[in-house]
Amino acid sequence: MPQLEASPAIDFHTETYKDAYSRINAIVIEGEQEAHDNYVQLAELLPNEKDRLISLSKMESRHKKGFEACGRNLEVTPDMEFAREFFAQLHKNFQDALPEGRIVTCLLIQSLIIECFAIAAYNIYIPVADPFARKITEGVVKDEYSHLNFGEVWLKEHFEESRTEVEQANRQNLPIVWKMLNQVKDDAHILGMEKEALVEDFMIQYGEALSNIGFTTRDIMRMSAYGLVAA
Amino acid sequence: MFGLIGHLTSLEHAQAVARDLGYPEYADQGLDFWCAAPPQIVDTIKVTSITGQQIEGQYVESCFLPEMLANRRIKAATRKIINAMAHAQKHGIDITALGGFSSIIFENFNLNQITQVRNIKLEFERFTTGNTHTAYIICRQVEQASKKLGIELSKATVAVCGATGDIGSAVCRWLNARTDVPELLLIARDRDRLEALQSELGRGKIMGLEEALPLADIVVWVASMPKGVEIDPTTLKQPCLLIDGGYPKNMGTKIQHPGIFVLNGGIVEHSLDIEWKIMSIVNMDVPARQLFACFAESMLLEFEKWHTNFSWGRNQITVAKMEQIGQVSVKHGFQPLLSF
Repeated sequence: MPQLEASPAIDFHTETYKDAYSRINAIVIEGEQEAHDNYVQLAELLPNEKDRLISLSKMESRHKKGFEACGRNLEVTPDMEFAREFFAQLHKNFQDALPEGRIVTCLLIQSLIIECFAIAAYNIYIPVADPFARKITEGVVKDEYSHLNFGEVWLKEHFEESRTEVEQANRQNLPIVWKMLNQVKDDAHILGMEKEALVEDFMIQYGEALSNIGFTTRDIMRMSAYGLVAA
Repeated sequence: MFGLIGHLTSLEHAQAVARDLGYPEYADQGLDFWCAAPPQIVDTIKVTSITGQQIEGQYVESCFLPEMLANRRIKAATRKIINAMAHAQKHGIDITALGGFSSIIFENFNLNQITQVRNIKLEFERFTTGNTHTAYIICRQVEQASKKLGIELSKATVAVCGATGDIGSAVCRWLNARTDVPELLLIARDRDRLEALQSELGRGKIMGLEEALPLADIVVWVASMPKGVEIDPTTLKQPCLLIDGGYPKNMGTKIQHPGIFVLNGGIVEHSLDIEWKIMSIVNMDVPARQLFACFAESMLLEFEKWHTNFSWGRNQITVAKMEQIGQVSVKHGFQPLLSF
């Protein structure tokens, strides 16, 4: 993303940076771990898509290892407890939907919301990352587009019968995402990532996904901003 | 397919439009929300040329607001423009005009250095500032409106405020080469650029605004700023033709004085109705017919299939290019606005 005013060079080795990084890095590691687990579980619900989903889950595992290396490179210990707590509500909503066979909700949470957020965050992070993490993240973000595509294609093919559930799951989960973002906005700022840029990139990516699935501009403007102001 | 990147004129205006269009999520929000809002395609447009040819276009609302500049939210402002451009390109639009402040922000903040936006490589040849057509239309307004008012160009003093800008310098070149205007007054902030323009033209007096305005029979205002400048109409000549080619346009409402004729500059009227909703939103007097000349440039480039950044960079506009766009402007039925 554009950086116009000459941004002060970031020192990746200060205690302030490493402290913020310990939480952001943990979130990314936990996010990739949960994505792995979610795709494995989705494979059980969608046996016809099993091979594809298992291959996606393996990619997420590789991403996790990459981000663990980023933490080690800066000699930062990721705060995994913080990260598990951070994802707890989204994780619970996914786990509640799973035994009830609510595939649409599961796909919306993992394949749309989480992937769009990951794409937005990685794209904003790349220009301000340390050289090691930049290389890793550039590789990861390319994969994430294909994960998003899986959810888009499936939901597009089942658009008519799933749109009510998509809207419902959107109402249930998007406000949680805004709260999660607020929780880490100060840490993200220390890493050179601005909240409003993250929100904008997320809304662009998520809006595109909803459009590809079949929603209209009017639906998208309503759905992608849902709960943003209240958060 | 052509495109227009536009924006609303103020936060208050944006809130009212969002309410009217039925977007409550956007209607009641403050500047922070708009700073994070993504671009949207909000209108599709059909234009018919007087040759009978039909084209289609899309209107991209960038969600930029002038308050972002006034409040130094520069990063947000530049994100709006770059993201709107990426949005237009992603939707397969062949040629898109950067309207209102979009091209000004693009130039001022050197956004040409940004070529990669997420997974999109921006192709600048798909965009135009529309400034060549705007400059051409302003010049035609000078020529035709002065005639209507009985001001003889061969005896007139013309002051150009914002003379060193992309549009201002083009207007100076045209007036120098294509008219017999005896006196050109050049007004701008940057002395070095003024001197460069003066030596290029081989003429023109460099003057301050307050000193120049009382001498001018015609004032061409092409400076763009988030907040306008107060002009005292009692200091102007009578009659005086004031062409408001800046952005935003607010002179018509501010200056109401006998003998002072304010014309909205850089506005064209099309000979046939255009099918769109957006021009009533941006407060045109005759929304189905009137539009910014920069927008019309992307329509002309689409009619002619000149899918190229016809107007790009700063101070590149030649009289020959103004003539070229002028010919197709007339061919397809666009005329300069001449009603006060």
